[in-house]
Amino acid sequence: MGFFKKFLVGKSEQGNKQEKAFEHELPQKPHYAQPQQMSSSAQLSENIDYLFSQCKQTGDLKVRALDDGRAALVFYETLVDHEKMQKKIFAPIEMGHVGRIPDLPNSRQMTNLDEAIKKLLSGHVLYFDEDSTRITYFDVTASFNRSVEEPVNEKVVRGSHEGFVENIKTNVNLIRKRIEDKSLVVKYFKVGKKTNTNIAIVYMNGIADPEIVRKIEQRITDISVDMVQSPGFIEEFIEDSTSSPFPQMLNTERPDRVSANIMEGRIAVMAEGSPTSLIAPSTFFMFYQSPDDYNMRWYTGTFIRLIRLTSFLIAIGLPAFYIAVVSFHFEVIPDDLIVPVKSSINDIAYPPLVEALVMVIIIELIREAGIRLPSPVGQTIGIVGGLVIGDAVVRAGLISNLMIIVVALTAIASFVVPSNELSTTLRLLTFPLIFLAGTLGFVGIMFGLLFIAIHLTKLESFGVPYFAPIAPLSLNDLKDTFVRIPLYKMNKRPKDAHPTKQLAMEESREWKKNEQSK
Amino acid sequence: MNKVICVILSLLVLTGCWDQRHFKNYNLALSVGFDQLENGSIIETVSIPTIMGSPEGPLKPKVQIVSSKAPTTLDAREKIDQRISASFDPSKLQVVLVGEDLAKRDIYPVLDGFYRNPNSNLNARLAVVEGSAKEVISVKTPNESRVSQYITGLLESVVLGTYSTGENLQLISAELMEPGEDFTLPILKKVVQGDEQLVEYNGLGLFHNRSYTGEKIKQEDAVLFVLMQGQKGKRARITRKVNNDKAYEPLNYVTIKVMKIKRDLNVKVQGGEVKADLSLKISARILEYPHNQLVSLQIINKLSDRLTRVLTKDAKEIAAKTQSANSDVFSIGRRVKAYYPEVWNQMDWNKDYPNITITPKVEVDVKQHGIIN
Amino acid sequence: MSSQSKPMISRRQFFFIIVQTEIGVGVLSMPYDLHGIAKQDGWISLLITAFSLLIILFLLWMLAKRHPSLNFFQILERVFSKWPGKFIIVAYIIYFTSVSVLIVLLFGRMLSLWVLPSTPFWVLSILMVSVCLYLTASGLKIIARLYTSLSLFLFILIFLMVFCFSELEILYILPVAQSGWINIVKGANEGLLSYFGFIVTLVIYTYVEGKPKDKFKTVFWAHCFVTCFYLFVVLVSFTFFSTKEIALVQEPVLYMLKSFQFPIIARIDLFFLSIWVVSVATSFATYLFMTGMGLQTVFQKQSSILVTLAAISIFIISIFFGFESERLELLGNVVVFLGYAFGIFIPIFTLCISALRFKAKKEGGKQSE
Repeated sequence: MGFFKKFLVGKSEQGNKQEKAFEHELPQKPHYAQPQQMSSSAQLSENIDYLFSQCKQTGDLKVRALDDGRAALVFYETLVDHEKMQKKIFAPIEMGHVGRIPDLPNSRQMTNLDEAIKKLLSGHVLYFDEDSTRITYFDVTASFNRSVEEPVNEKVVRGSHEGFVENIKTNVNLIRKRIEDKSLVVKYFKVGKKTNTNIAIVYMNGIADPEIVRKIEQRITDISVDMVQSPGFIEEFIEDSTSSPFPQMLNTERPDRVSANIMEGRIAVMAEGSPTSLIAPSTFFMFYQSPDDYNMRWYTGTFIRLIRLTSFLIAIGLPAFYIAVVSFHFEVIPDDLIVPVKSSINDIAYPPLVEALVMVIIIELIREAGIRLPSPVGQTIGIVGGLVIGDAVVRAGLISNLMIIVVALTAIASFVVPSNELSTTLRLLTFPLIFLAGTLGFVGIMFGLLFIAIHLTKLESFGVPYFAPIAPLSLNDLKDTFVRIPLYKMNKRPKDAHPTKQLAMEESREWKKNEQSK
Repeated sequence: MNKVICVILSLLVLTGCWDQRHFKNYNLALSVGFDQLENGSIIETVSIPTIMGSPEGPLKPKVQIVSSKAPTTLDAREKIDQRISASFDPSKLQVVLVGEDLAKRDIYPVLDGFYRNPNSNLNARLAVVEGSAKEVISVKTPNESRVSQYITGLLESVVLGTYSTGENLQLISAELMEPGEDFTLPILKKVVQGDEQLVEYNGLGLFHNRSYTGEKIKQEDAVLFVLMQGQKGKRARITRKVNNDKAYEPLNYVTIKVMKIKRDLNVKVQGGEVKADLSLKISARILEYPHNQLVSLQIINKLSDRLTRVLTKDAKEIAAKTQSANSDVFSIGRRVKAYYPEVWNQMDWNKDYPNITITPKVEVDVKQHGIIN
Repeated sequence: MSSQSKPMISRRQFFFIIVQTEIGVGVLSMPYDLHGIAKQDGWISLLITAFSLLIILFLLWMLAKRHPSLNFFQILERVFSKWPGKFIIVAYIIYFTSVSVLIVLLFGRMLSLWVLPSTPFWVLSILMVSVCLYLTASGLKIIARLYTSLSLFLFILIFLMVFCFSELEILYILPVAQSGWINIVKGANEGLLSYFGFIVTLVIYTYVEGKPKDKFKTVFWAHCFVTCFYLFVVLVSFTFFSTKEIALVQEPVLYMLKSFQFPIIARIDLFFLSIWVVSVATSFATYLFMTGMGLQTVFQKQSSILVTLAAISIFIISIFFGFESERLELLGNVVVFLGYAFGIFIPIFTLCISALRFKAKKEGGKQSE
C-alpha cells in the first residue's frame, strides 16, 4: 500500500523527469556510454591543436616532439610517472627508431580523439605520428599510494590488520586474494560527469541475488552528477530511503569484512580515491557485527555481541529513561536508592530535560573537537572536557552527578557500535526520545520506541528488509544476530540478502565422528 | 511518512509537560503514623528527611517530623503540606504506623487513600503501635539517621526471624475485605533505655475484619504462631523449657532452630460442626541444650517428644487465643466457604468462629544437634 | 488492491496478527469485567466465550474459503451485488471506526487514571492515531512483520505476572460454579469484548499463504494462544485478589503488580502499562487498517488520503466524545452489540447467501476440475 511513500516517490519522480527532459535539450551530454565521434586526423599538428583546445591550454599538458617533429608524445606531466615512461617507451627503443613505438608490447591503439582525451586524463601517454590516424597509448599512470595499513577507525584485536587504500585496483586485489574463485565478479562504472570516478561493484556470481545486482547497477548508472568524491556520495544516490536516519549501507575499510559479506551474497561498492567500501544490501544487525567476533571463542563472541546490542538500547534510551524517572515516575526508584538519588538532584537548578540536553551537547562538542584536532591535542581536549568540565559542572551545582553518569554511559554505549555511521545515528535518536520522555514519561518513550520499530521494519535496503532477521522474523538467522554460535553450525547463509545458494558448508567436523568411532 | 513526523514534531513543540512531577521538588514522606483523638479526628505524623546534597555524595539527612490534626488523612496531609517547604509526596512511603486506639476502631479509613491513589507505594510495611504512633515516629535514634530506616529495618528483621508474617499494604488488603480471613500485624512499642529512645517489637496483634481486637500473640509465642500459618522466615528459633529437674534455671531450657516445616490444615464439617486439624511438622536442630549430652538416639528422641508435647500445648493456647479474639488468622472460614459453600451460607462466621473446634498438633523431630553431641 | 500483486503474508505472521489484534485494551480490565457478573467463576465464562467463538471462527473460515481470491469487502460486494454490498461495507467502516474510537478512549482513560492524570486527552489520542497511521500506511506486510517481532512483549507481560506467583491463593477461585450457570453464561458476554479482534481473520484471510486447511489451523492455534493468555491473566488475578477485593479493583493486573518491588526497580505496574501501550497500538492499527481497506473497496481507489481521513475522524470523534464513565459504558455496550451484528451475524448471513447464490457455480467449478 505504501501510501505516503508512493505519494512522495511519485512527486520526486516527476521532478526527475522534468530535470531529465531539460537535460535532453542541452546540446551535448557527455556520458561515458556514448563516445564522441571526433576521430583523429592524419595531420599531427591538427591532432595536437585539437587536444590543446579541448584541454583548455592547461599548463601541465606537455608535448614532446620526436623524430624532428614527425611524431609526438602527449601527456599530463602531473599524471604520468616519468620513470615508467622511460622504462616502457624509451628503454626499448633506445637502439631503434622512434617509428617502432606503436609496435611496442605494452601499446594499444585507437583513432578517436575524444576517447584519447579520456585516456590522457587517466594518466596515459599518447603517441601520434605524422601521416597516420592511429593513436598509440601507454599506461604510465603515476600512483602515489598509501601502503596497506590497518584502518584506524575499525581496529580489531585478532584477525587481519589490512585495510583498504585509496587505489581501487589495490582494493580489488585485496579482495581477490581472499576469495580465489572464478565467480567473483568485478564490474567497473564511470560516475561523475566531470570527475569520471571509477566505481567498482564486486560480488559472487551464483550467490548474490541477480535481482539486487541489477538494481545496484541500474541505480549506479542512473547517477548523473558532476562530481562523485567518495562512497558517501554514491550512498545518497543509490540508497532506498534518504529521509531515514539509519544508514542503509555498511561502510567499511576492512577487506576481511567485505569479503565475508560478499560470501554471504552481498555486493560491495568501491570507489577510486576512497578507502571506504559500501556493502549492500545491509541489515541493521550487520552494523553490530565485527570481524573480531569470529576470532574469539564463540561464548565470548556471543557475550560481546550481546553487550553491543544492549548498548543500542542504552544509547538511545538511557537518558530518556532517566528523565522519565526523575520527572515523572520517581516511584520506580527502589527504596534503598531514594535518598542517594534525591540528595544528588535536590539542589540542581535546571529541570532534568535541560540538564540532559546541555550534557549531551557538551559531549558532542568534546567529541567533535577531539576528532578535528591533531591527536595529541585531541587527547587534551578529552581530558579537559571529560574530567575538568564534568567535575566543575557538578561542583557548581549546574548538573547533577547522576546526569553525568547517565550521559557519559550513553556516550560510551554509542561508541561501542562498530560502525561510525550508526553510532552517530544513535546519538541523534536520543534527542526525540529525551523530548518524549520529558513530555509524557514512560508512555512517551514507548511511543518513541514504537515509532522507531515501525520505521526500522518499514525500511528496506535494496528490496531487502532492513530489520531482518527480527522483522520479518527468521529464527534460523538469529544465530548470527544476538548470539554467535560456533562457525561450523552456521551452515546456511542469512536469508536477508536473498542468496541464490543457501548452503554455505557441508559437514565440517566429520573427523569427530570418525575419531570417536575408532 | 513525513506528514506524521511533522505532526509529532509539532506536538513536541506544543508540549506543556502536563504531568511532570520533578523529583527534586517533592519532599518524600518515608514513614507516616496515624493516631485517634477522642473527638474522632485523626492525628497524622510524618517523617520527612531533608537531604543536603554535596558533590562528594549525600550528607547525613536531617529528619523533620510534622504532625497535624484533621478528620481525614488527606485533609491532614493538606495541612502538613502547608507547613513544609516543598510539596509532600507519600509515593515512597516505607512504613505506616497505626496507633492502638485507631486500630481498635477501624484501620480501613486511613488506608483507603493509599489504595485509591495510583502513586502510592503498596509495599509499605504496616504495624500497630502500643501507645501513640506519633511517639514512635518522633523517636530520636542514635545510630540510624532516619526513623523510617530504623523501623523498616526492625520490621524486616522481625520477618527474617519468623516473628511476623511480613504484611504490607497490599497483602493485608485481601484479608481486610474477604470474610472468613483475618490477619495479624506486628506491634511496636517505644521503650526508654537510659538516655536512649528505642522501639521494640512486642508481639503480633490479632485483627478481626478491619479492627484490632486488643488481643495479641506474645513475642515468645510469635515464632510458633507464624509457623502455624505455614510461613517461615530466614531463621526461626524456639526456646522452651523442657525439664524441671535442674535447680539452675538455664539448664532446663532448650533452643532449637527450625530447619523445615510442613503444615497441613484440614477443615472438615461433621454434623454441622466445623472441625479444623492443624498439623505442623518441624525438623529441628539443637542450638543450645546445656542440660545434658545428646549422646544416644534415645535421649534425642526423648527431647523430641518433650518438645512436641510442650509446643502442642502452646499451639493449643494460641488457637484458643485466636478464637477468643475472634480472629480467623488461619483462614478457616475461607476454606469452609470454598469446600462447603452450603454450610458457609448458613453460618455467621463473625459469631461462629469462636465456637468451632481447632485441633493443633505439633510434631518436632530433632534431626541435628550441632557439632558436639 | 487488485491492480497490484497482492501482499502475501506467511501463516506465522497471520497467527501474530490475530493474536496482537485480539489482545488489546481489554487485558487490564477483563478479569474485573468477568468478575462483575460471574464472580469467581469468570474463568469458566471465558472458556465458554472461547469455545463458542471457535465455532464462529469456523463459520467465518467457511465463508472465506468459498472466495479464496477476494478479501472480505470484495466478498460482500460480490455476494450482495454492488450497491447493497457497498452499503454493508460502509456499515462495517462505521463499525470499525467506532471500535477504534472505543480503543482510543479506553486507552486514554487508563493512562489518565494510572500515570498521566493531567495530560490532555488529545495529546494521547494524537500520538496513538499518528503512530498507528504511520504503521497502517506502510501496508499489510509491514504490519505483519512488526506484529511478529512485537510479540516478544507479550512474553514479557507474562513474565512480569509470574512474579505474583508467590502470593497466589487457590482458595479464592473455590467454590467452583458457585455463582450459578446463568451468571456464568452471561459473563461470557463480557469476555467477548476482549475477543473482538477476531474479525481480522476474515478480512485478511485472502492475503495469507497456504492451503485453507492450514490457515484454519493457524486461526485455531492463535485463538488457543489468546485464550490461554487470557485464562492465565484471569486466573492469576482471581487468585491474587480475594473475591471481595476484586470487585473494587478495576484493573486487577496492574494493581497486582503495583505492590512488587525488585532490588533495582520498583513499581512493575508502570512497565507493564508501558508495554500494554504497544498492545493497544497493535489492536488499534489493525482496526485502522481494516477501515482503510473498506474505504478503498468503496471508493475503488488506492490512496493514503482515505486512511488519513479515517484516522483524523477517529481522532476528532474521540476528542468530542471524551471518556466520562457513563458515556464510555454506553459506547462499550453499543460496540458489543455491533460486534454481535458485524462480527457474527452478518458474516454468517453472508455465508448463507453465498451458499445459495453460488452453489451452482461452485459445483460447475468442481466438475471442470
